[in-house]
Amino acid sequence: MAEMWITMGPQHPMTHGLWTLRVKVDGETVTDTEAELGYIHRGVEKICESRDFTQITPYCDRLCYVSAMTWAHSYVMAAEDLLGAEVPERAEYIRLMAAEVQRLASHLMWLGAFGPDIGNLTLMTWCLRDREMFLDLLQELGGSRMHYNYPRVGGVKRDIPIGWANRMKAKVKLFENRINEYEMLLDESTIWLVRLQGVGYATAEDQLNAGVTGPNIRAAGVNADARWTNPYSVYDQVDWEPAVEKPTSVKGADCYDRYRVRMEEMRQSCRMLLDAIEKIPGGANTHYQPGDEMLITKAPTRAPEGATGFSTYECTRGVSNFYLQGGGDGRGKNPYRVSIRSPMFITIPYVAKTMIGYKVADIPAIMGSYDPCIGETDR
Amino acid sequence: MGTTVTKEQNSAAAKAVVDNLSKRFSDAGITTEAVAHAAGKKFEFVRIICAPEQWRAVAKHLKNEIGVNHCAMVTGTHYPSGGDDRGWEVAYHMHRWPIQDVEAHTMIVHKGENLEGDDIPMEFEIFIPLAAGDSPSVPSVQDLWVGADWNEKETWDLVGIDFEGHENMHRVLNPHDSPVGFHPLQRQHKIRYHDFNEMYDDPQGFDRKPVDEGRVK
Repeated sequence: MAEMWITMGPQHPMTHGLWTLRVKVDGETVTDTEAELGYIHRGVEKICESRDFTQITPYCDRLCYVSAMTWAHSYVMAAEDLLGAEVPERAEYIRLMAAEVQRLASHLMWLGAFGPDIGNLTLMTWCLRDREMFLDLLQELGGSRMHYNYPRVGGVKRDIPIGWANRMKAKVKLFENRINEYEMLLDESTIWLVRLQGVGYATAEDQLNAGVTGPNIRAAGVNADARWTNPYSVYDQVDWEPAVEKPTSVKGADCYDRYRVRMEEMRQSCRMLLDAIEKIPGGANTHYQPGDEMLITKAPTRAPEGATGFSTYECTRGVSNFYLQGGGDGRGKNPYRVSIRSPMFITIPYVAKTMIGYKVADIPAIMGSYDPCIGETDR
Repeated sequence: MGTTVTKEQNSAAAKAVVDNLSKRFSDAGITTEAVAHAAGKKFEFVRIICAPEQWRAVAKHLKNEIGVNHCAMVTGTHYPSGGDDRGWEVAYHMHRWPIQDVEAHTMIVHKGENLEGDDIPMEFEIFIPLAAGDSPSVPSVQDLWVGADWNEKETWDLVGIDFEGHENMHRVLNPHDSPVGFHPLQRQHKIRYHDFNEMYDDPQGFDRKPVDEGRVK
C-alpha cells in the first residue's frame, strides 16, 4: 500500500494544545513523523526585554497555564541569582509548598486529560473534582485560580493565611486516599492496560541525550531529578524521595511506566507537603504582614551589564531553565536578554520520533503519556 | 529525608572539571573557571569561554571525557554596541547528570551523598563570543547531543545565528513563510503593538503626543 502523510492537528484531541503532528503511515503503521510547533508563539523573551524584573513574573505565570506557580518560581530563582538576593527560609518553605500543590494540580490536569485519550471519561471528572481542591489552596495564596503572580524576587508576595495549613493538611490527606481510588479505577481496567503497556518505549540515556527530563526520564529507572541534583529551595530539609519506576522491558519505559511514575510523584508531593507544614519556621498558624522580613528581603532592582543569572528547576514536566543577562534598558532595570528553556519544546520533537513503528491508534497514548503543554512549548 | 548533593561534593567536582579542562586546553586560550551562584545554595558551576573554532573540540571533550550528557539550552544574544569582537554571543548551558551506562530494565536510585567522580551532577555554561557582522556562525553540536537540535533551530529562528553543519535547519517558532533574514530577537527590531509603539517603549506615556499634533492651532 502506498505511504501517505496524515496531518493531526492543530485541532486534534491528541495534541492537548495547538500544534501539528504530521504522520507518514503505511497502512496502520507509522513510518515517519514531523512535529510543527509555534502556533501560539507570543514572543515572551522579547517582551521581557522591555520589562523590569518584577514585571516579568506575570509573563512567566502565563508560560504554562497548568503549572503557573512553578514557572514563576523558576524565573525568580534566576532573577535572584542575577541580582544576588537572599530568600528568607520561611519564604522558601512557602514556595516549596506552593510548588508542590501546583505539581499535584498539574499532574491531575494531565491525568484528567490523558483519561479521555485512552477512553476513560470517568477519570476526567474525578481529576477535575480533586484539582479544584488544590486550585482553591493556590487561590488563597495568589488570589486567582490560574495565574498567581505569587513568588517575588527575594521572597513571596504574602504569607499563608490563617487556617491554610489545616485546610491543606485535610485536603492532602483526603487526596492520598483518592490516589488509591484512581489506581483501583485504572490498574484494574483492561482497556487502560492494553492501551498503555508495551507502547512508546524510551530508555533513560536516549531521553537524556535528546533533552527529555522530569517524570518521563524517571519512568525509565533513574532518579534524575533537579530537586536533588541541582538543589534549590529547602528540598534537602523535607521528607521525600524521588519517584522512580522500574521499566517493564529492556527497551525502556513505556506509557504505563510514565503513568505510574506520575502517580508515585503525587504521593511524594503529598508527603513533602505534610512534612513541610510541620517544619516551617515561624509556625504554620502565624501570619506575617506582607513585606515582613520573614517573607521577603529587599533585592536590588538593577543588574549591571555582564552579570548573568541561571536557574535549574524541576518543573512539573521536566527541567526548566531561565538564563538572564543584566544591563538592559533603564540603566540595568530591565534584563538585556531573557532566555527560557521549556522542557516540552525539546520533548515533543523527540516523542514524535519515538512513535515510528507503532500504530496510528497508539499516537494519543504515547503523546499523552509525556504530558504535553503547548503554552510553555511555544513561549 | 530527601537525598541531595552536598556542597563539598559540588565544589570538589567543579574543581576536578576545571583542572581537567585547563590541563587539556592549557595553551589554547580557553578560559575555564568555577563560579558560584549568587543566590540559593550558592553551588558552583563551570564557566568556559572559547572561540567558535575551538568549540567542537571543547564539546567533544566535554561529552567524552567529562560526561556531559544533557544540553539544556542554547541562547543567542545580539550586541549591536558590543564592539568588533563581541557583536554576538552564543551561550550553551549543559548539565552532567548521573545517567551513565544505565543498564536497561533496571532501577537505579542514586543517593546524592554517595556519588563521586564523574557521577556528581554539574552545571556547565559555555560562552562563545562572535565577531560583529551580518553572518554570525558557530559550529553545531547537533550530532553530539540530540537535545541541541531544536535548541539550535530555535536560536537560528529567533536570533539569526547560523549553526555550521546543522542538518534540517528550519523555522520552528516563527511562521514558516517569514521573510528571509527576519529574526525578531535581533536588537534592531522594536516591539510594537499594532501602531502603538509607545505602549511598550513608553509605558507611562511621558513621551506620548496627541495624534493631531501639528495640525491643531
